[in-house]
Amino acid sequence: MRKMLAAVSRVLSGAAQKPANRVLVASRNFANDATFEIKKCDLHRLEEGPPVTTVLTREDGLKYYRMMQTVRRMELKADQLYKQKIIRGFCHLCDGQRCVLYCFMLSSLTQEACCVGLEAGINPTDHLITAYRAHGFTFTRGLSVREILAELTGRKGGCAKGKGGSMHMYAKNFYGGNGIVGAQVPLGAGIALACKYNGKDEVCLTLYGDGAANQGQIFEAYNMAALWKLPCIFICENNRYGMGTSVERAAASTDYFKRGDFIPGLRVDGMDILCVREATRFAAAYCRSGKGPILMELQTYRYHGHSMSDPGVSYRTREEIQEVRSKSDPIMLLKDRMVNSNLASVEELKEIDVEVRKEIEDAAQFATADPEPPLEELGYHIYSSDPPFEVRGANQWIKFKSVS
Amino acid sequence: MNLFQSITSALDNSLAKDPTAVIFGEDVAFGGVFRCTVGLRDKYGKDRVFNTPLCEQGIVGFGIGIAVTGATAIAEIQFADYIFPAFDQIVNEAAKYRYRSGDLFNCGSLTIRAPWGCVGHGALYHSQSPEAFFAHCPGIKVVVPRSPFQAKGLLLSCIEDKNPCIFFEPKILYRAAVEQVPVEPYNIPLSQAEVIQEGSDITLVAWGTQVHVVREVASMAKEKLGVSCEVIDLRTILPWDVDTVCKEECFLNLEAPISRVCGYDTPFPHIFEPFYIPDKWKCYDALRKMINY
Repeated sequence: MRKMLAAVSRVLSGAAQKPANRVLVASRNFANDATFEIKKCDLHRLEEGPPVTTVLTREDGLKYYRMMQTVRRMELKADQLYKQKIIRGFCHLCDGQRCVLYCFMLSSLTQEACCVGLEAGINPTDHLITAYRAHGFTFTRGLSVREILAELTGRKGGCAKGKGGSMHMYAKNFYGGNGIVGAQVPLGAGIALACKYNGKDEVCLTLYGDGAANQGQIFEAYNMAALWKLPCIFICENNRYGMGTSVERAAASTDYFKRGDFIPGLRVDGMDILCVREATRFAAAYCRSGKGPILMELQTYRYHGHSMSDPGVSYRTREEIQEVRSKSDPIMLLKDRMVNSNLASVEELKEIDVEVRKEIEDAAQFATADPEPPLEELGYHIYSSDPPFEVRGANQWIKFKSVS
Repeated sequence: MNLFQSITSALDNSLAKDPTAVIFGEDVAFGGVFRCTVGLRDKYGKDRVFNTPLCEQGIVGFGIGIAVTGATAIAEIQFADYIFPAFDQIVNEAAKYRYRSGDLFNCGSLTIRAPWGCVGHGALYHSQSPEAFFAHCPGIKVVVPRSPFQAKGLLLSCIEDKNPCIFFEPKILYRAAVEQVPVEPYNIPLSQAEVIQEGSDITLVAWGTQVHVVREVASMAKEKLGVSCEVIDLRTILPWDVDTVCKEECFLNLEAPISRVCGYDTPFPHIFEPFYIPDKWKCYDALRKMINY
């Protein structure tokens, strides 16, 4: 009996050896997915909200990391090109570096989680419209970094043929890129109406900021969307400052997710890409089920000033910016999660960083080398015209034709 | 003083003289995005110089309301390009108030200020010159100064004028134009054009930044063609000084058709701006063609 037991135990321990070896090998392989807890969203007129846990696959995690890093690097490169005066005009970035400059460039640093997270929660056939902080969305909606940077430098390879610049970028199912804040919201409601009419189960994400949230036309859009049950997701990107005005000084109610009143709303942690993704999935499902519009407030932050002419420190402290940078940076959050759950290694992510940097460099080269649009195009695309007509202008000096 | 300082000086004078005067708009409290209201909040208090949320229609409507009660309202629209949500308030409410109430009410103590015109890098929404939209609206006055000295005098006249006024400030001149400006208040009358330079062969009429372009063209014409140009700054676009610009019978006395030199009928472009604006070469060329007509 003892011998048999010994023999059995030898066999068993032998069998146990193999899985142990496999376990050793497996720890050099990564987990396929991991479950994370995410912040619960505050709700308005909703019985329940998005789930508080979510599963992130390795594949998705790497994809999001790459996308967020690309947006960040792209914005930093745009910042650099701007300082070199290769980009002129206004430039509003999505990133976060302090810069003291003379012109506007509107950056989205640290708002990467918003654009990548939103895209992760919808389909490419859904629609999106936003205001001027649009570079990140142009990328997540499918355009290449080259086309974006070339548009910033005003070259003909740019996505709007060089005629729009920083604020006016467009792509398939992405309607810009709009300079007058608030004006894009009724447009978004209109796109949602078209979605409903076409019956293809599509939704429209209509974004605006905490500053624009006080514009009258937004409330007009809320009313129409609710009345006609349009599949419109209103999204307020609250980065706490409308240019230099903090939200408390501009809004009677800073609960932007409740401002739709009769429209249900949720407040989402906009620095956590997984939270944004889950909330977007929830909101999209809500709209697709025909219940009407819904409102999401993404609580986010921008490191940069409003634009390149705004150092961003006259209305807030450097400590505040530093604190957000060290505790809530969205890329860092994702990276920590992935590394700690064995979804990826630090080296692997560093490799992605290197690849992204190269892609941005190449794009910047293109954007600097590509020729500007030809002068004849000054008059193009005013109307839909057939045949081309002559553009009225400065007395007989150069005649421009408008061609469409 | 430069242009923005002359504006600050005018506003300072107004708030000192008129206890009902208030200044409001987006970001005016810290001094404004072009520094036109620097120091005023500290001097006159937060009740008199205050920020509004981002709502142009609301800003103007609110200003009309203040003015109707008799207080002096000085509203700022951050860029003239953003004035369009307020277009209805200006054209349908402000301009018609006196007329439709049979002079019982009016909002004459309203002045709207807005940075105006091309600046080299403004593209579609930071470069527009929308005075033409308002030029056909009886009931309001539209004014565009060419320099700091002019700006202060004209702005004070607008504020004191008993009709709602829109005052467009050429943003490219905010820092670039500098001249001697008195610290005390003074007025420059509205609806009076100014003949800056007398001449006998050809008349050049312009306003705002373009006055400087046209002045340069006048000296080019004198030098290269021996042509004597009369340069007129229109100053008030509505109601404009018809008498100074042309006498009634002048149409039959003209030796060449009137020429307009301006931007193209396209939205204000992004990258094409240098080719879009009516620079001195285009104006000079038009002048040459007229002389040779």
